Amino acid sequence: MQILRRNLTAYGFLCAALACFTVFAWYPMVREFILSFQKTDLINEPIWVGLDNFKTAFLDPAFGEAWLNTLEFTLLALLCGYAVPFVVALVLNELRHARAYLRFVVYLPVMLPPIVAVLLFRWFYDPGPGLFNQALDFFGLPPLAWLDSSSTALISLVIVSTWMNMGSATLIYLAALQNIPPELYEAAELDGAGIFKRIRHVTIPQTRLILLLMLMLQIVATMQVFIEPYMLTGGGPENSTVTVAYLMFQNAFTLQDYGSAGALGMMLMIVLLVFAAFQLRLTREDKA
Amino acid sequence: MISVGARATTGGKRGRKRSPKPIEVQFRTIVSPHQLNSRWGRRIYWLVLATVLVVFTAAFVFPLYWMVTGALKTPEELAQMPPTLVPADPTPDAFFEAWDLFDIGTLLANTAYYSLGGWIVCMAVDVSAAYALSKLRPMFGNVILGMMLATLMIPAMVILIPLYVTVVDLGLLNNPWALWLPAAANGFNIFLLKRFFDSIPRELIEAAQIDGAGAVRILRSVVLPISRPILGVVSIFTIVTSFKDFVWPLLVMTDSDRMTISVGLSQTAGAVTQNQVMGGLLITSIPMIIVFFIFQRHIMAGLTAGSIKG
Amino acid sequence: MQRSTGLLLVTVLGLAASACGSGGEPATPNASGGAKAVTITVACQPAKSAPKERQAWDDDVATFMKEHPGVTVKSTDQQPCFDPKTFGPKLAGGQMETAFVVPVTNYNDVISKGQALDITQYTGSIKNWNDLRADHKELVTKDGKVFGVPNVHYSVGLVYNRALFTKAGLDPNTPPTTWAEVREAAKKIAALGQGYVGYGEYSGGNTGGWHFTQAIYGRGGDILTPDNKKAAFNSPEGKAVLQNLHDMRWVDNSMGSKLLVGWESLMVAMGSGKVGMMLGAPDVVTDVVNKFKGNVADYGITGFPEAKASLSGGEAFMINPKATPEEAKAALEWIDFRFNTVGKGRFDFARGKSIGNPVGVPDNAVFGDSPTGQAIQADRVKNASLPVTNYESYVQAAGTIPPKAEPLHAQELYAILDVAMSGVLSRKDASVDQLLADAETKANSMLAAKG
Repeated sequence: MQILRRNLTAYGFLCAALACFTVFAWYPMVREFILSFQKTDLINEPIWVGLDNFKTAFLDPAFGEAWLNTLEFTLLALLCGYAVPFVVALVLNELRHARAYLRFVVYLPVMLPPIVAVLLFRWFYDPGPGLFNQALDFFGLPPLAWLDSSSTALISLVIVSTWMNMGSATLIYLAALQNIPPELYEAAELDGAGIFKRIRHVTIPQTRLILLLMLMLQIVATMQVFIEPYMLTGGGPENSTVTVAYLMFQNAFTLQDYGSAGALGMMLMIVLLVFAAFQLRLTREDKA
Repeated sequence: MISVGARATTGGKRGRKRSPKPIEVQFRTIVSPHQLNSRWGRRIYWLVLATVLVVFTAAFVFPLYWMVTGALKTPEELAQMPPTLVPADPTPDAFFEAWDLFDIGTLLANTAYYSLGGWIVCMAVDVSAAYALSKLRPMFGNVILGMMLATLMIPAMVILIPLYVTVVDLGLLNNPWALWLPAAANGFNIFLLKRFFDSIPRELIEAAQIDGAGAVRILRSVVLPISRPILGVVSIFTIVTSFKDFVWPLLVMTDSDRMTISVGLSQTAGAVTQNQVMGGLLITSIPMIIVFFIFQRHIMAGLTAGSIKG
Repeated sequence: MQRSTGLLLVTVLGLAASACGSGGEPATPNASGGAKAVTITVACQPAKSAPKERQAWDDDVATFMKEHPGVTVKSTDQQPCFDPKTFGPKLAGGQMETAFVVPVTNYNDVISKGQALDITQYTGSIKNWNDLRADHKELVTKDGKVFGVPNVHYSVGLVYNRALFTKAGLDPNTPPTTWAEVREAAKKIAALGQGYVGYGEYSGGNTGGWHFTQAIYGRGGDILTPDNKKAAFNSPEGKAVLQNLHDMRWVDNSMGSKLLVGWESLMVAMGSGKVGMMLGAPDVVTDVVNKFKGNVADYGITGFPEAKASLSGGEAFMINPKATPEEAKAALEWIDFRFNTVGKGRFDFARGKSIGNPVGVPDNAVFGDSPTGQAIQADRVKNASLPVTNYESYVQAAGTIPPKAEPLHAQELYAILDVAMSGVLSRKDASVDQLLADAETKANSMLAAKG
């Protein structure tokens, strides 16, 4: 009797969350699956079409480019967004002055709405009076085309993305670094290890878990890149910045082909789930 | 568990560097105090510090400076090459123009309404769920928690389209609930809250039960007061996230009277002059910068709580 | 099935919400007494950033409601009026206006998906229906059924900045008539100094492909083969379009260095008064002046250089397929009142002149040369706020060049052609042949997939 009452109370407290999750999290997961096998335009009744949506997605003229660009973006973003914050955190951790200021400043862009960062950089990238080319000119360097050339557009997007996101990674690493017991460094020093050896044998092993976690999180996050190409390049020039997420959005909302967008989504999800599974295994291994 | 600041606040009080005053070392890092305070160690230290300060300021503060001064310049001055470092004749006109053109008053009010409303809904839903899972321990509680956490594995962009289709089916377009309810389905919040509630000693709850308090009473007068730190962190992140959100409001709040500030800016930015865009961006940034100033500690603490995600 | 799942979800959610005591917004049924009371929503109210235009619209709404008791008109001011991104969802979610605007590019899509009401039975009551251009009415008709009221019609010409022509030592009264002359003029304008662009062109956001289509039609080329099965743009005409752009961009350096993505980008540039020429219809002049702060007297328009055909552009009003007959009737009356009456609503040129509109621009030929069209033109000339001679050469050309409709699957094709346009405009070493061949392959496989 008491158990029943406790359960009833508990489910009373849970009902709102269960409803929200059912409708807005669990059901859409199922719906995604259904969507990718149906022809849906939101007006007429959906029709089952088997694998047609996947075929349409495959035959999309930008399909291959989108995947290559997404991969390239992810790799570049990892170089900038993963390695740089770690090095920055290492240096920040050594500094004894202006720490509050530096931490504040590096996190500031993270607080700004992404649209602010993106529109700000759109102006910086302007090939004429934009800040970047004017700065290059100031140092006597030739101007770059930034967003306006297929060879530099993608990296330009990576720069924006890094600028607005690196703050959180940096602070997370910083926190991890501060949790390393000082004795380990002292012991290493007594063993005659130099600075780089200390980093290799103390710092990195001690922060391994968080490094791995961040690697995976970052891959999953950057593979979904959307707002940068959407606002800055519209996928151009010459499709050099079409990403999978962007293509998905275009299919769904410009062409009203929710099915092939769903199919693309399924493919993206499978790729990302493989990464996530990998992440889970690594962290499990580490905890064990 | 969620405190960063503790060891990190060593001052920036040192002004003079004439007499070789030793660099204060409160905690041990990679470079040993001894090395640091050697003749070369000090030189390198100051050099690195200066470089980092310059680079950081250039990379993270200067763009914002450029945004502010850009808004204060006239369009003609903005087009000038090379650009002026300081506005020749600063005028706040662009702010007022931006305010009118973007209809920032409406957009900000909308965004504030969505953020605060979303916060209330989210807290009500997630706190009660976490409380139930942590303290009332219903049957299948772990299964439910597991399923909630599983949603974190699904990439946001992938779920976007089916979620959108669902919202269209429900007829929730241009209705704030389309923002609030999906935001409340946040497995990570529930996980964080539940973990904190788990750490509340049983005795406290049992004592209250003996006093005859019901579940609601216990939540209100025992659990919530103790949980203020985690509630603060979750609250701030919920509000900031919804303020910053772009893609989802772009899809579901399409009426120009109901758009959020991010969406409104993106729609109009192509049609107005650059100084007006910058004015609009600055006005948009100010609320978040203020929030950051006030809640810096909470935010940074929350970040490390977030890093244990997964 | 889909609908019932939705309903089920609503019920679940509703139950949960009420059980948990978090009150939702009550649905307010429109409790309008009397059988005649009807509420319609209409699209395209001018944005708040154009206060005078908006006021004129609001005045019209008030007048209309006074003349039609029982009808309540609500306006929406989404910009642009037609947004493909939100169109389907708005319709599905019951948010679509009773009367909405569709650009000619999307007619096929909207009609074939059943997203517009069959209004054949009402056409008799539409004022001046018979005077609307027959070729445009054809575009909104499918299988003998009429799905829209043509609202705007134009053909493409060359919009140019008269002030810049004068400044560059060119005669604004004899604008270029050949591509060679365009190139020469562009060179002179770009030579005016930093920031000046002789000729502006799009390269992304589907506008690149759209302008490529305008250009290739003008040269007598085509996008698709007559049976719509294969791409036809990898042709001498297509090559000439791209080669010309490439040379202007990289040999003459007269096109600026910034890629223009999306409709607004070139309009802003044009409005800033530093762009000499662009392809466009007279509505470009109206928009540049009304929305992008261009100086009205500066802009002229002339016929498309060496034109053999001209891409038809325009838009039509369509009616929400879920509208009741009363709503549909009221909406059509509104369209009549605001858009189809000589001297009223948008054709109230006297008012337009008083609020600073560029009256005199022949920005709408939807009534063609019919009596209504002539009456409108006479009224326009009478109230012109600028020298109508600035547009004379365009009007003459537009009368003689045959119009040509957009290709099937226009949006998909435009996305493909964007790549070629951005190619020549962003890479000096771009190979025109290669770009067109790639685009052709992509277009053919797209067409094959669409069947």
